[in-house]
Amino acid sequence: MMHKWGMVIDLDRCSGCQACMAACHAENNIAIVGPEEAAKGRTIHWIELLPYIEGEFPHIKARLLPRPCMHCEHPACIKVCPVGATYANEEGIVGIIHSRCIGCRYCTTACPYTVRSFNWYEPRWPKEMKGSLNRDVSVRKKGVVEKCSFCHHRLLRAREKARAENRELLPDDYIPACVQACPSQAMYFGDLNDPFSKVSELSRERRAFKLLEDLGTEPKVIYLSEGM
Amino acid sequence: MDPKRMSLEEDAILLQPIQRTGKAFYVTLFSLLAVILWAAWAYMYQYRNGLGVTGLARPIFWGVYITNFVFFIGISHAGTLISAILRLAKAEWRRSITRSAEVITVLVLFFGVGNILMDLGRPDRMLNILQYPHFKSPLLWDVSSITVYLTASSIYLYLPLIPDIAILRDHGGKYQWLYRILALGWKGTEKQHHLLERGISIMAILVIPIAVSVHTVVSFVFAMTIQPMWHTAIFGPYFVAGAIFSGIAALIVAMNLIRKVYHLEDYLRPVHFNNLGVLLLVMTLLWFYFTFTEYLTTYYGGEPIHMTIFWNKFTGRFAPYFWGMFLFCFVIPLPILSFQKTRTPYGTLIASISVIIGMWLERYVIVVPTLTHPRLPNETVLYSPTWVEWSVFAGCVSFFILLYMTFTKLFPIVSIWEVQEGREKSMAEVQERIKTYLPGIGVE
Amino acid sequence: MKFSRRDFLKMGGGVGVAMALGGGFVQWTHWPESDSSNAPGIEKWIPTICGQCTGGCGTLVRVIDGWAVNIAGNPLHPLNRGTLCPKGIAGLQALYDPDRLRSPLKRIGNRGEGHFEPISWKEALHQVSKVLIELREKGETHQLVVLGGRYRGLMRSLWERFLKAFGSPNYIDNQFRWEDPPLEGLLLTQGIYDLPAYDIEKAQYILSFGSGILESFWSPVQMLRGYGHFRRGRPGLRGRFVQIESRLSSTGIKADEWVPIQPGTEGVLALGIAHMILKEGLYHKAFIAEQAFGFENWKDSEGREHLGFKEFILSEYEPAVVSKQTGVPIDQIIRLAREFSSNLPSLAIGYRDRPFHQMAVSVLNGLVGSIDVPGGLLIPRSVPYRPFPSFSEDTIAQRGNSQRPLFGRNEGVGSPSYLFAKNVISGKPYKPKVLFLYYTNPLFSNPNPEYFFKAFQEIPLIISFSPYLDDSTKFSDLVLPDHTPFERWQDDPVFLSNGFPALGIRQPVVSPLYQTKATGDFLLEIVRELGGQIQKALPWNEFKEVMIYCLRGVFEAKRGDIFGLQFDEAWTRLLQRGGWSVPTYQTFEEFLNLLYEKGGWWDPVYDFGERSRVFRTPSNKFEFYAQGSQKTLFPVGKIKDSNVLPHAEDLKQGETDQPYPFTLHVFRTISLTGGRNANQPWLQSMVGQHLFERWRTWVEINPETAKKMSISDGDWVWVESRRGRIKAIARHYKGTLPNVVNIPFGQGHRGGGRWSKGIGENPYHLIDDHLDPVTGFPVQGTTKVKIYKA
Ligand SMILES: Nc1nc2c(c(=O)[nH]1)N[C@H]1C(S)=C(S)[C@@H](COP(=O)(O)OP(=O)(O)OC[C@H]3O[C@@H](n4cnc5c(=O)[nH]c(N)nc54)[C@H](O)[C@@H]3O)O[C@H]1N2
Ligand SMILES: Nc1nc2c(c(=O)[nH]1)N[C@H]1C(S)=C(S)[C@@H](COP(=O)(O)OP(=O)(O)OC[C@H]3O[C@@H](n4cnc5c(=O)[nH]c(N)nc54)[C@H](O)[C@@H]3O)O[C@H]1N2
Ligand code: SF4
Ligand code: SF4
Ligand code: SF4
Ligand code: SF4
Ligand code: SF4
Ligand SMILES: [Mo]
Repeated sequence: MMHKWGMVIDLDRCSGCQACMAACHAENNIAIVGPEEAAKGRTIHWIELLPYIEGEFPHIKARLLPRPCMHCEHPACIKVCPVGATYANEEGIVGIIHSRCIGCRYCTTACPYTVRSFNWYEPRWPKEMKGSLNRDVSVRKKGVVEKCSFCHHRLLRAREKARAENRELLPDDYIPACVQACPSQAMYFGDLNDPFSKVSELSRERRAFKLLEDLGTEPKVIYLSEGM
Repeated sequence: MDPKRMSLEEDAILLQPIQRTGKAFYVTLFSLLAVILWAAWAYMYQYRNGLGVTGLARPIFWGVYITNFVFFIGISHAGTLISAILRLAKAEWRRSITRSAEVITVLVLFFGVGNILMDLGRPDRMLNILQYPHFKSPLLWDVSSITVYLTASSIYLYLPLIPDIAILRDHGGKYQWLYRILALGWKGTEKQHHLLERGISIMAILVIPIAVSVHTVVSFVFAMTIQPMWHTAIFGPYFVAGAIFSGIAALIVAMNLIRKVYHLEDYLRPVHFNNLGVLLLVMTLLWFYFTFTEYLTTYYGGEPIHMTIFWNKFTGRFAPYFWGMFLFCFVIPLPILSFQKTRTPYGTLIASISVIIGMWLERYVIVVPTLTHPRLPNETVLYSPTWVEWSVFAGCVSFFILLYMTFTKLFPIVSIWEVQEGREKSMAEVQERIKTYLPGIGVE
Repeated sequence: MKFSRRDFLKMGGGVGVAMALGGGFVQWTHWPESDSSNAPGIEKWIPTICGQCTGGCGTLVRVIDGWAVNIAGNPLHPLNRGTLCPKGIAGLQALYDPDRLRSPLKRIGNRGEGHFEPISWKEALHQVSKVLIELREKGETHQLVVLGGRYRGLMRSLWERFLKAFGSPNYIDNQFRWEDPPLEGLLLTQGIYDLPAYDIEKAQYILSFGSGILESFWSPVQMLRGYGHFRRGRPGLRGRFVQIESRLSSTGIKADEWVPIQPGTEGVLALGIAHMILKEGLYHKAFIAEQAFGFENWKDSEGREHLGFKEFILSEYEPAVVSKQTGVPIDQIIRLAREFSSNLPSLAIGYRDRPFHQMAVSVLNGLVGSIDVPGGLLIPRSVPYRPFPSFSEDTIAQRGNSQRPLFGRNEGVGSPSYLFAKNVISGKPYKPKVLFLYYTNPLFSNPNPEYFFKAFQEIPLIISFSPYLDDSTKFSDLVLPDHTPFERWQDDPVFLSNGFPALGIRQPVVSPLYQTKATGDFLLEIVRELGGQIQKALPWNEFKEVMIYCLRGVFEAKRGDIFGLQFDEAWTRLLQRGGWSVPTYQTFEEFLNLLYEKGGWWDPVYDFGERSRVFRTPSNKFEFYAQGSQKTLFPVGKIKDSNVLPHAEDLKQGETDQPYPFTLHVFRTISLTGGRNANQPWLQSMVGQHLFERWRTWVEINPETAKKMSISDGDWVWVESRRGRIKAIARHYKGTLPNVVNIPFGQGHRGGGRWSKGIGENPYHLIDDHLDPVTGFPVQGTTKVKIYKA
């Protein structure tokens, strides 16, 4: 059976440390956005901790929720792209062909999870830093959108390696950068089509829920709620 | 003398703008050119540096350009649609105004499309739309329907122009070569007239559904997403009504200008303004009806995510825009248009300018607030358009005016032959027509 | 090439087995591939130790064609097991900061203007040794001061030994809160002035008294990992966690319950909880009977009656009294006391508050017997380094060493750096002539930086070893840039939350980018220039030799093993319990190679019940009555019983309310904790994620309060104390007490490069410098401020 890659984030384990955010930056050559642009809201994060701060002082219920792209089964973003630059591959990973994107930002407005970012300017790195970019991931140009790819390049490499070693892809071969870094081990990644995988198992837990489930987008990122 | 020329004497004033050009024209022309050049420079600046030079940011990905896009496409409904309806309704008073209306449509469409293109992060790749079209995207529906609309409106503008071009060709003067080509060998024969009339009526019929579809599809760009206060079925008719509303207003403004500048008081009479004023009044009420329905539905539904945006418009950050829209779209025009005494050229002008401003605000209030409050927590971003966006906007308006002016310098802005035809045939025709439906007359 | 691919596979497989066997730990072991046919260059993964904070995590750096291109956690390092915190990942940006210093620099122009000219290392060596020889000749060796910052291990021993041989008593710690667990609390109750381990992985219930355990624990990743395990790592068990704090920090957000409390009264609440535990008889009777001192009233050897803890607390800290002071409702106090004492093992974790408030938190652990038991507070053993060879100081050195140290009093306790600045300004007992700044930036990191500016002006020669032009380096005369952590050798001895000692080895992963030099190596060069006894005391050519010298002790200790998989952990432990030690190495060379290859050594054993290690108090017990304090904290005079029993201390609030109605609370974020990380855009772009704040300084105000003052969310405001004012963005934050405002640490550098200089403000410019009478370091939470629109 085809793989169906998915992620489970256990909010009870998550410590709100933001390692996932930094790991994603390092892995995916996300542009450096300086203070002036950041103040305008041009920061790019493919995964971001979202704060929910509800109630009134002193009875506050606050949550921090790490949010990558949901890689929806029914993604709003794909439908609206006029040039098919956003697509889902056969395993359900929603990707972007950056070289085709015309930068209309229709997908960014359509995505109900606001996960997509836009390159308002040409990303630039000081020359001292250029060599340290991840060579497995292309650098985006100005004027195109970008978002979490489930570290698809890691899958490609893992496949290649498995093929070279003449074996099946093992569950631990393909782990995205954020999952790998997560110090509280709150993130799990794997094949949702495999009923015995850790992610499948967890997704059937009582605590499991999906973000904005009622929209019918069917995210492949599943959360486990906090508390008992 | 050739009888045609003879008869022209009466309407010679209609050719005057083409034959004579005063200093005022050049002054206006150069001022407009200055603004356009400035805007072109602003756009080049944006092209080189990226969309970062606008005030846009996540999550407010769309702003003035998309507002302009919807706005200009809306204005475009002035011409073709109104003219077609009036033609089909055989409203005789239309004869002197259709041309000026149709021109608006054709010209302004370019600016609608242009704003979308200027909004692209990668305008250099815009041909990807043709190379890799993805028809699931409402944006592509737009591309298709606007193309069709533009084609149809151009034909629809062109067809009634042919006899006038022939007049210009025969009349001597500048650009003979141009008129010769464009006149397509028009000789005014019975057969030609017959063909032309048929062509025009077919186009008039065709153009109406196309026009309606265009603005419906524009609304679909928003309505097809699941974003709060966009995802609603009312958007299609709401947008179409709004489009006609702003279109009529634009037409009234244009007519006022032509009338003043080219001394066409005789052709564009108070009755025209009165009639259009009534139409605008109807649209004002219709606009109110739609707006009311739209917001009342949201309010009663009371879905939290919708309500955030609702209150944001009513009392929040966008209240000045929202209430500004209400003021300009409704409060100001309504009393002016309600009374015949104020439905003068001047009165309708004021009402129309107000409506145009109001309708731009309406587009803005539709596009931006929804984006400021996504479903998930997000950074608070205050969108304020930058000088680049304002410059480009000013450039678009100026360029439009410039093109419009130029048009009046090349072609008669009031259809000569239609006016003549009206004078020659209409009396009889109208009499005939009236007989067909008035009781007690003409029934054997 | 440090790791072979076969190793990777083995590890992957091994961990799979470990998961199957052990359950419990769920460990992501994705090991980045070491080779791939499409790799554009030669790729290696080199293990080393992160240098971004005091945490000590093991990392693997992916190096392609000599460029470090990615950082992952070292799955073998038991402290972080393949994971990292955001700062660790941003280590790349610390290495490749485009504004790093590129060669030794000599100041031209006035001090602090930041004009320098490059000089050669030869010239640098010449200049420094000239100055030092002069000090020796004039017998002014004690006027050399080394101010050291946050780092660990043999480099510190090296500095201390160098100073001893050179003749100066002045190694001054600017790590003035150390790594900030409640050190004094531990000293008073257990007689130990060092970091304890909190075995949170096995705890059932954690009561945190203002400790930012998920943001600024001394070893963040260790705590974050432990936290995940504490929550969901044990099937069927979920640890409960309560955060008592005056601000809703991200630790508070993650807690099951946030208890807002008046600033500085956490210790008082601890006393109230103790009261209820005593009153309801919920304390651990066996522990108290066997291992505690001073619980009941007692008689000393002279027969004098002393007040015991129980009677004192029962009479003084009624919940009603405590509730009034802390603002915590009575029933909540009662509930917390019951929960804490009935969900064993439970842990109370405090911060470096006033000493007896710390003690109040510490005794809670004693009351429930959570000392030296699984899930409780543990006292780790240290790494068995071979001690340096003995040497004798020459007469010049002896003379210098006998001078009074410049940091004043109570050796070993308190904040020496602040006292140092005071003494420098007053010139008593003497003024220093030469100041070395190693790994520290006092002009940024000390409360009242202006005061340090003043002190610095009194010092004729300041030499900084920082690789960055930070605030203090900018003010120096000579800059001798160190390698950054990824370019040098260094040891990093740590311990784990379960008390196991571990030793990480930092090694160069890329060759030095610029003309920099490891300060340890440079120091040994100076030593050679100075010659004589000094060289005899430090007979090494480079720092790596020092390390190898001391590592022999670890090799010979016949304990522990090279970092291995979790799977091996149980095995090693089993063998050691049986009295065998079968390490994977036989010879010292083998040991060293494995150490470099796997990243370090550890000893996965904790010996419970070694009383002499755990209680170093006069009574050899856990002291509810701090007998030892007489020696350590109150050098003179007689003391009252209530003074050495845990008690509420005077809060010494600054001026009264009128002009300055708010208490200033300065807090840390996980990403910019301290002065080191502001130059890293990845961290800058997520400092205040709970408010989407980035790249600037904000001040959190209770929304209701702000509305009353007509300050809108996002307004620029001035925050003013009696000491100064700073400009910040006002943010409405519901997790703020109405009478408190919160400002984060980490921004406001006046030196540094493009990404740190001039970004935001440093709240330390507002802090009052009340010194704690006991510890000698500045007490936070006493600063009052007012706020108005800018
Ligand atoms: N604003 C602010 N001030 C603080 C704190 C805070 O969190 N924020 N925390 C307080 C506490 S608890 C402490 S312990 C102190 C510690 O404060 P400091 O001792 O000043 O420690 P850091 O800020 O970590 O680092 C100081 C300097 O070390 C330099 N450095 C970085 N890497 C290297 C290196 O590889 N080699 C060398 N030689 N130098 C290097 C950098 O230039 C950095 O500026 O600060 C205290 N003051
Ligand atoms: N990520 C990261 N972690 C680190 C470090 C690092 O560089 N990076 N450095 C390490 C070092 S050296 C240290 S010292 C520790 C420090 O780490 P922490 O011990 O967490 O230090 P702080 O956050 O300064 O203070 C802890 C608590 O003190 C209380 N507090 C602070 N100010 C006030 C106040 O004004 N009033 C009252 N009532 N209470 C107050 C608050 O409750 C606060 O949560 O962090 C260590 N951990
Ligand atoms: S989360 Fe948004 S971007 Fe991601 S697949 Fe779903 S709709 Fe598309
Ligand atoms: S911005 Fe790019 S990816 Fe998004 S809809 Fe437009 S073309 Fe497609
Ligand atoms: S899966 Fe990869 S791309 Fe997506 S958020 Fe995680 S690190 Fe970023
Ligand atoms: S890295 Fe893990 S623990 Fe940290 S914020 Fe992300 S999901 Fe939570
Ligand atoms: S906790 Fe400290 S040592 Fe560990 S990865 Fe983070 S910054 Fe590095
Ligand atoms: Mo510290």
